Amino acid sequence: MDTAAANRSDCPEVRVPVPLFFTIGVVSLAENLLVVVAVIRNRNLHSPMYCFICSLAAFNTIASLTKTWENLMIVFANIGLLEKKGPSETNVDDVLDSLLCMSFVGSIVSFLAIAADRYISIFHALRYHNIMTMRRTRAVLGVIWTLCGVSAVLMVRFFDSNFIMICFVVFFVVSLAIICFLYVYMFMLARIHARKIAALPASNGGRGALTLTILFGAFVVCWAPFFLHLIIIMLCPTNPYCECYRSLFQLHVVLLMSHAFIDPAIYAFRSVELRHTFRKMLLCSDWKRCS
Amino acid sequence: MSDFHNRSQSSARRSDYVWQYEYYDEEEPVSFEGLKAHRYSIVIGFWVGLAVFVIFMFFVLTLLTKTGAPHQENQDSGEKRHRPGSCLVDIGSPQDENDKAFSRPLLTGPRSYFHFYINEEDQGHGKRTGNPDGARAQQGTRGTGSSGTDEMEDDVEEEAGGNQPLEGLLEESKTDGECAFFSHFNIPNFVNLEHSSTFGEEDLLYEPSVVAERRRHSRDAHCDGH
Repeated sequence: MDTAAANRSDCPEVRVPVPLFFTIGVVSLAENLLVVVAVIRNRNLHSPMYCFICSLAAFNTIASLTKTWENLMIVFANIGLLEKKGPSETNVDDVLDSLLCMSFVGSIVSFLAIAADRYISIFHALRYHNIMTMRRTRAVLGVIWTLCGVSAVLMVRFFDSNFIMICFVVFFVVSLAIICFLYVYMFMLARIHARKIAALPASNGGRGALTLTILFGAFVVCWAPFFLHLIIIMLCPTNPYCECYRSLFQLHVVLLMSHAFIDPAIYAFRSVELRHTFRKMLLCSDWKRCS
Repeated sequence: MSDFHNRSQSSARRSDYVWQYEYYDEEEPVSFEGLKAHRYSIVIGFWVGLAVFVIFMFFVLTLLTKTGAPHQENQDSGEKRHRPGSCLVDIGSPQDENDKAFSRPLLTGPRSYFHFYINEEDQGHGKRTGNPDGARAQQGTRGTGSSGTDEMEDDVEEEAGGNQPLEGLLEESKTDGECAFFSHFNIPNFVNLEHSSTFGEEDLLYEPSVVAERRRHSRDAHCDGH
C-alpha cells in the first residue's frame, strides 16, 4: 500500500473541479442548441453549408448533454444516491459512452463535411448547386448519423480489443490530414486569384491565415491530447512517463468539452445571417412580428 | 471510493474509463525509481510540439500570402492556354475540360431563378429590389456563397475599398463585350473568399458566375470564334 501511495503521489491525478465541468457543459449545450434552433427556424439557412453546421452543433449538443449528465451521475454516486454497481447504472453508463463516442466521431465527420462542402463551393463553384442539392445533403447527413451511431455502439461493445482503439486513432489522424489539406489548398487558391485582381485592394492575408490557424489549431489542440491518451493506454500502460501523462486525463476531457464550447464561435457565429437570426430570436419575443 | 476501485478492477478494460477516472491505479504499480528525465517529459514534449506545429502552420500560411504559392506559374500558363480558345477563365484545374463536357446535362430547372437576378442586376448595381423572385434567388443561393466565405467574412467588414472594386467590375462587365463580360464575371468567384461583399450577404458574387455559365451555354457559338 505504501508503494502504491508513493506511486500515486509522484504523479498525482490532476482533478478538475466538478463546477468547471458543469459550467462548460451547460454553456456549450446552450450555445449549440441555439445554433440548431436558429438554423431550423430560419428558412434562409436551409442550405447545405448550414445543414452541416447544424449537424456539427447537434453533435456538440449531444456531447455536452451526455458529459453533463455523466458528471451529474458521478456526483450522485459520490454522494451515495446512486448504486455504483447496479445494473441500471451500468446500462445507463453504456448508453452514455455510446452517445459520447457517437458525438466525437460525428463532430469529426461534420468537420470533414464542412471542409468538403467549402472545397466543392470553390473548385466546382459553377456546378455547386447541382452537386450539393438539398436532397443529397439530407442523404449525406443521414449516412453520417447512421454511421456514427453504428460505429459508436460497436466501439463501446468491443472496446476491449485494441483494434477498435487503433481504428479510432487512425480515423482521427486521417481526418486531420484531409481537413488540413483541404483548407490549405483552398487558402492557396484564394490567395492566387485574389492577387490576380489588380483592381482590388492589396491582400490582407494575415487575417485569412489567422482564421485558418484558429480553425485548425483549435481542432488539433482540443482533440490531440485525448487521442494521445488513447495511444498511450495501448502502447505503454506501465511506463512512468506515460503514467504521468495519463494523470492529466481530466484536463484532456475538459479540453474536449471546451472544443464543443468554442465550435460555434469558429463556425456558426462567423455567418452574418446566423448572427441576425440569433439577435431576432433572443431579442424579439414574437418571431413573426420581428422583421 | 473503494466501490469505484472494485468496479474499475472488474472492468478495467471496458470503455467506461471516462466514468471511472482512477481505473489505472488498479494495474501493476508503476515504479518511479531511476527516472532519467523529468516526470512530465512526455507532457511537456507533446505541448511544445503542438505549439510549434500551430505556429509553424501560421507562419507558412502568412508566408504564402506574401510570396504566393509555388504553382502560381502553372495557373498563369493554364489561363493563357485557355483564354484564346474559350471565354471561360481557366481556374487552373485540369479537369475543366471534363467539367464543360458534363456540366451541360447537369444544368436543370432550378437554375432558372437566376434569371430574375440578372434582371435585377441589370436594373441596379446589386441593389436588392422588392422582387419576390429575386428574394427567392437570394435565398436559394445564399448558402452557396456563404460556404466559402464565412471564415473570411471579417476581412470584408474591415476592408474599406471592398465595395467599390466589385461594383467597378460589374459595371465594366456590362460595357465590355460578351467575352470580357464572362471573364470578369468569373473572377469574382474566387475573390469572394477574401473580399466578399459588404452588401450584407455573402453570395452576391457567386450568382454572376452561375449566370455566366448559363449565358456561356446559350451563346457558346459566339465566343468560340474569339
